[in-house]
Amino acid sequence: MASIARCLRSARPSTLSRLAQTPCVRSNWRPASLRAFSASPIRDIRKYTKDHEWIDLNADKTAGVIGISEYAAEELGDVVYVELPEEGKEVSAGDAIGAVESVKSAADINAPIACKVTGINLALEEKPGTINQVPEDDSHGGGWIAKVQVGEQGVKDFDALMDLEEYKTFTGSEHH
Amino acid sequence: MAFVRRLSTSLTNKPTLFSTPYIPSPLRSQNVAGITRRLFSAEAVSHPSNRVQVYISRASDPYLNLSIEHFLLQKSPPDSVVLLLYTNRPCIVVGRNQNPWVEINLGLLKQSGVVDSHGAKSDVQLVRRRSGGGTVFHDAGNVNYSVICPPAAFDRDKHAAMVVRALSALDIRGGSARVNERHDIVLDVAAPSSPDKDGAKKTQTFKISGSAYKLTRQRSLHHGTCLLASPNLPLVGPLLRSPAAPYIKARGVESVRSPIRNVGLADNAAFEEAVVAEFGAMYGNADPEVIEEGEAAGILEDVQVVAKGYAELKSPEWIYTQTPQFTFSTHPTDEDPRARPPLPDDLPSDFRATMTVRHGQIIDVSGTSLLESLNTTYLHHVTDWKSKVGSEPVGKWLNGLFGVGEN
Repeated sequence: MASIARCLRSARPSTLSRLAQTPCVRSNWRPASLRAFSASPIRDIRKYTKDHEWIDLNADKTAGVIGISEYAAEELGDVVYVELPEEGKEVSAGDAIGAVESVKSAADINAPIACKVTGINLALEEKPGTINQVPEDDSHGGGWIAKVQVGEQGVKDFDALMDLEEYKTFTGSEHH
Repeated sequence: MAFVRRLSTSLTNKPTLFSTPYIPSPLRSQNVAGITRRLFSAEAVSHPSNRVQVYISRASDPYLNLSIEHFLLQKSPPDSVVLLLYTNRPCIVVGRNQNPWVEINLGLLKQSGVVDSHGAKSDVQLVRRRSGGGTVFHDAGNVNYSVICPPAAFDRDKHAAMVVRALSALDIRGGSARVNERHDIVLDVAAPSSPDKDGAKKTQTFKISGSAYKLTRQRSLHHGTCLLASPNLPLVGPLLRSPAAPYIKARGVESVRSPIRNVGLADNAAFEEAVVAEFGAMYGNADPEVIEEGEAAGILEDVQVVAKGYAELKSPEWIYTQTPQFTFSTHPTDEDPRARPPLPDDLPSDFRATMTVRHGQIIDVSGTSLLESLNTTYLHHVTDWKSKVGSEPVGKWLNGLFGVGEN
């Protein structure tokens, strides 16, 4: 998503202030059994790529949810179609796994980390505008794009991504 | 014409950009030990020093031109800017996420009287491009421009404005060109009617160029058409009106209809020269590399990535099954309450049907029982509905809607 996000900035006001105010909506999505067996507090960790995707990784680092950032969604303009990833597909970090069309532009969605697609948000096909409304919502009805299985390489890739603070700084610097 | 001469000589006089010994010239045959080898390669196109690249393809195969374009998008250096100009033989090009059954009169497409550059009757090819946006018509009177640049430099209007400047330099008489709010280039022309009561001249606006974009992680591509002197414009409207459209509710992208016209410039080369000059003014001059038709065919043979992209673009899977999910229904439904055009009188009076098609495949059918056997059928595999539905009038009607078989 980097492409659009970078280029349309002059035409659109920064979303940073919004980003800062909008509470991140987190779902309860995670294997239920984890709760019972883990003593440590269980929280998904969300990280961001320079290409403006986000990924939540569950506490035992085996599964995640992928979406595009609020910043990117704002910069894209009205999303008219979401080409969802193929279920079962295994990808490396940076591989195109789907695409978003807005304002005559087909923009690739890239895998933030090495992973295998285990589920897709079919509702986006019918209501692509959800991406504009709640791009960082990983609950039912949210704008998340895919659920993924994560292996060793994926965890390594994840460590290299930006946390929210770093991402905010990064998108801020894109405005120079 | 000076420009044409310069272009042809540039093939023998090495363009400056490619003159260092380290960079193989990408688009030229070379005799190595008696074997003709083509050197259009990722190595040359992607060489970091090739910061400004300009190509003019003389191939007229739309699938090949789009594949060369895609190759340049994938392989040119991340910080380079690339201009590619090409002119296709007659074809209709739908956007990445569009529905050919909704956008095109496929029956007319097969039998239309479109003419090629020599005035001879020509087929119209059906193409799905990789970029977004709506459906357009191409022929020999339409020159396509394509600019590939770093995403940071991407702006939806920037290169449409470049083409407007090129048109201004050509002193187009018909009217004045500008980029509109849809990122298309339009021509404002004085209406033939008399001035209104305030004495102000009325203007009419026509689209002459449509834009579409593709954004990858590293690169952005903006390509557009420019209708210079198409002899086929009266056919474009009917070709882009599908008889099936009133019965189909589709996900994905629907085209926005605009009145079109020619710029009125019979000289494609003059337009090419003007666009190359404006591109040069923005990014620094680079001598255009002309890809002759035979060379383009050689690229297809020799460059695996191009061959792969070409095969994909030509495949029925890409053209048809990439279509976003849609539902065909003969009567108004909750999801699609539009009034339908009256069905033909010879259909059974109780005939009704609803088909859901996903990735080009019928995944759900309801209504009259004779249609049940259609489940799991790929729509583009049906060459005659009469044998599929076991009813002459129903089959004939569906043949007409989907543009297959005999009507």
